[in-house]
Amino acid sequence: MTTADIYAIMPLIILTAGCVLCLLAGSLRPGFYLYPAALAVVGAALLWCVCVPAESVMPGMTVNRFSRASSAFFYATGLVALLMAYGYNRRRGIEGEEYPATLLFALLGMGVTCSASNLLMLFLGLEAFTFAFYILVTIERDSILGGESGLKYLLNGTLSAAVMGMGMALLYAGSGTLKLAELTTVAGIPEPLLQAGIGMILIGLAFKLSLVPAHLWTPDVYQGAPAPVTALLSTASKGAAVVALLLLFPLLQTWQGGHDLLWLLALLSMLTGNLAALLQPGIKRMLAWSSIGQMGYVALAFVAFPAGGDRAALLYVVAYAAAGLAAFGAVSILSDTSERDDIDSYRGLGYRNPLAGAVLALAMFSLAGIPPTAGFMAKFAVFAAALRAGEITLALAGIASALVAVFFYLRIVVVLYMKKPAELSEVRALTVAEILALGIPGATLVLLGVYPQPLLDLLKAILA
Amino acid sequence: MTDLPLLSVLIFLPLAGCLLLLPVWNCRVSARPIALGVALIELALAAWLYASWRGLSTIPAQLPGYLLQEDAAWIPAFGIRYTLGLDGISLLMVMLTAFTFCVALTVSWNSITEKTGLFLTLMLVMESGIMGVFLALDLALFYLFWEVMLIPMFFLIGVWGHGRRIYSTIKFFLFTMFGSLLMLLAIVALHLTHAQQTGVATFGLHELLGTQIAPETQLWLFGAFFLAFAIKFPLFPLHTWLPDAHTDAPTAGSVILAGLLLKTGSYGLIRFGYPLFPQAAQTLTPLLYALAVIGIIYASLVAFAQEDMKRLIAYSSIGHMGFVAIGIAAWQPVALSGSIIQMANHGVTTGALFCLVGMLDERAHTRDIRAFGGLWGKIPRYSFFFLFFSLASLGLPGLNNFVGEFLVLVGTMKKAPLVAALAFVGIVLTLVYTVRLVQEVLFQEERQPLPLADLSLREFSLLVVLALLDLWMGVHPAPLLDMIHLPVQLLTGTP
Repeated sequence: MTTADIYAIMPLIILTAGCVLCLLAGSLRPGFYLYPAALAVVGAALLWCVCVPAESVMPGMTVNRFSRASSAFFYATGLVALLMAYGYNRRRGIEGEEYPATLLFALLGMGVTCSASNLLMLFLGLEAFTFAFYILVTIERDSILGGESGLKYLLNGTLSAAVMGMGMALLYAGSGTLKLAELTTVAGIPEPLLQAGIGMILIGLAFKLSLVPAHLWTPDVYQGAPAPVTALLSTASKGAAVVALLLLFPLLQTWQGGHDLLWLLALLSMLTGNLAALLQPGIKRMLAWSSIGQMGYVALAFVAFPAGGDRAALLYVVAYAAAGLAAFGAVSILSDTSERDDIDSYRGLGYRNPLAGAVLALAMFSLAGIPPTAGFMAKFAVFAAALRAGEITLALAGIASALVAVFFYLRIVVVLYMKKPAELSEVRALTVAEILALGIPGATLVLLGVYPQPLLDLLKAILA
Repeated sequence: MTDLPLLSVLIFLPLAGCLLLLPVWNCRVSARPIALGVALIELALAAWLYASWRGLSTIPAQLPGYLLQEDAAWIPAFGIRYTLGLDGISLLMVMLTAFTFCVALTVSWNSITEKTGLFLTLMLVMESGIMGVFLALDLALFYLFWEVMLIPMFFLIGVWGHGRRIYSTIKFFLFTMFGSLLMLLAIVALHLTHAQQTGVATFGLHELLGTQIAPETQLWLFGAFFLAFAIKFPLFPLHTWLPDAHTDAPTAGSVILAGLLLKTGSYGLIRFGYPLFPQAAQTLTPLLYALAVIGIIYASLVAFAQEDMKRLIAYSSIGHMGFVAIGIAAWQPVALSGSIIQMANHGVTTGALFCLVGMLDERAHTRDIRAFGGLWGKIPRYSFFFLFFSLASLGLPGLNNFVGEFLVLVGTMKKAPLVAALAFVGIVLTLVYTVRLVQEVLFQEERQPLPLADLSLREFSLLVVLALLDLWMGVHPAPLLDMIHLPVQLLTGTP
């Protein structure tokens, strides 16, 4: 291993070391000082990714502009989630070193996923961060909902991991190679093996992306997990799964059925997610169902892959991540120490807690795809790609479900600003960490909505 | 002077004004003059543009008919440019916008007592959005402004409205979104067709005008644009959001809805719908005629049955906008000029009527016609203006609405005599419900002993300005017609 290699994987080394040190330090002297330490670790990894242009090709891993940019995105998301968790976990009494350490481990898994160049590494990366989430979801030990949702997530997750692993094994059996680059060029993979392999991998990824019909875990887990965990789960982990899909996509394209399968997943997710979200009385479940719908749009972008769908998908993921972080961040602050999940209990909070309220409303407008927010630009890119690829039916279905979505997103804004508050609880001043955790995604939403060109240039460069 | 990007200033000045409001967020007394000041500067800018439009029209190297243009790269990756353009039609709409916001801010001077900072901010944001709609020449940019102006109105009705405000505001938002989302798809499809044909990815209106589209596709695309604009118009049977939104909105909201938001629909049809898809527009002209005529007659009949004054005026708006629609459908210089003038006329007159009803509501806390009567003797100054604007609204010669309706009917008579005749019946029906309104509110016996004060100085001066404007546009509309003459000829292709 050369110095260049070490430079290239330095962020992963930083995260691993940080994770281990966090666990060790926690066993000696537990406390909340570990959160700033973990923040520093993530910050260091992020800075390295952005500032050091070290690239290299190693067995199983390729660090290039694409993986650097994706890792930077994951680490930035993790940073915001940590900022959010700092105050939240304190209020909820979620103590101990396992939270920051596990979060670092999850980020490590995502970092590995996006630089994987063979199937095995990809699988390891995906399962590494999913494994971390099994723990994070249940981290609130006294919460009954947390335990229930953790178990559901674990059972569903292991099943999907097994399916995906089996799919990869079949591809390996058929082609004799694990390397992603070689898999697409190897001729003569027996058709049934190829089809079964690709289909099973797609199902595994559909679980991670919570596409219908592999979505059933989503509402329970979103509701049961602590809000900062859900924030990370719904953004960075979705992003990592999208990146994995992107890496696998040349392989998927070798089988026409892959396209048809994705088409169906996109349609079902957009319709089911957005229609079910209409009926939810709780905000977390509403956001969970809506995220299923949102991922349907990402799948739509993948259906339109040859017509620039890859860029649209990544743009969508970034916009969705910003909105998801903003929404869950605001929910975690507005719900405070109580379990404020009923949408009705958010009455008039927009005036009581102006920043959190405004950010939540902004996130809702962005998720609904209303300009000038990032969500609009993302939807615009996705629909442009879909029409360019000639997927008119899917585009129309997407527009129809987007209209349904507008209704339930607006409902939150209505409750926040247009209803009289029920009770008068005292308002707590926000800490710096909370202001940052709200401000960063909020500002991203507006910036991307007004001037997305730099990001689009970056995406073009890393996808070339 | 023209070095300054005047059009961008028009759009972003109100937004910048919002920043001025931040330090006085909770201080109602100082926030109101700041917001009104910003609106007045906008009005001054618009007035300056009006005063100098002849000079501007001689500047060479512009698109024909345009007075000012701005163009800059914005999102090259999508082919979206920041293209603004001002021609006579836009200028008229810009003037109307700047003026209407001054009216709306003045009329709600005392009536908004809660969250004034937020209210004024939203008003200014909305002014930016509406200015943008009237100036954008890039379809994507246009769409952006089209949506941006929705959000403030959504809050305006939902937060400061009355009655079933939440129901109304959601209905308003969803109706508009429904049309706009389909229009977005059509815009993208048009962009892609153009890119396929020429290899140039653009959303610019003037590049897209030359796109060759198969007739059937054209119908679909025009259908999407038409739906979006018809909802804003609003044309029968897509009008149902309007009476609710108007009735439950605060007075300022009603004034802006009637004065401006409805105009964005007709403006969009004139600027984008008809020129982009001429064949499809031709094919669907009978539909537009039919919907407009049904709208005029239906709305007039329904208006006759209303007991809530605001609702009555809301329905009368549908009728008046029907004339605008007929003029557009005729697509003939005289009728189209009439339509455009009628847009401005209706903005001023109906805006004034909503102000009047708002003032009455503030005093009596009811808008029910059955509660009033005999106002002529009790509050004579108020009653004078009420009568004045009612007469203007029903098309009394010498006042402004007459000019627009007359031109529309003259122009349409040449192309579709039956439509013109039916629309004339509509005018008669307008007469019927307006006379009923005036008779019951102003002249009948007093029905409830309401303690009513006559107009304050603020209200009086506001109404005087509005009335003078009505009179000027009615007696001497030639300068305005001159201003829109060239763009109209270019649009209808009859130079």
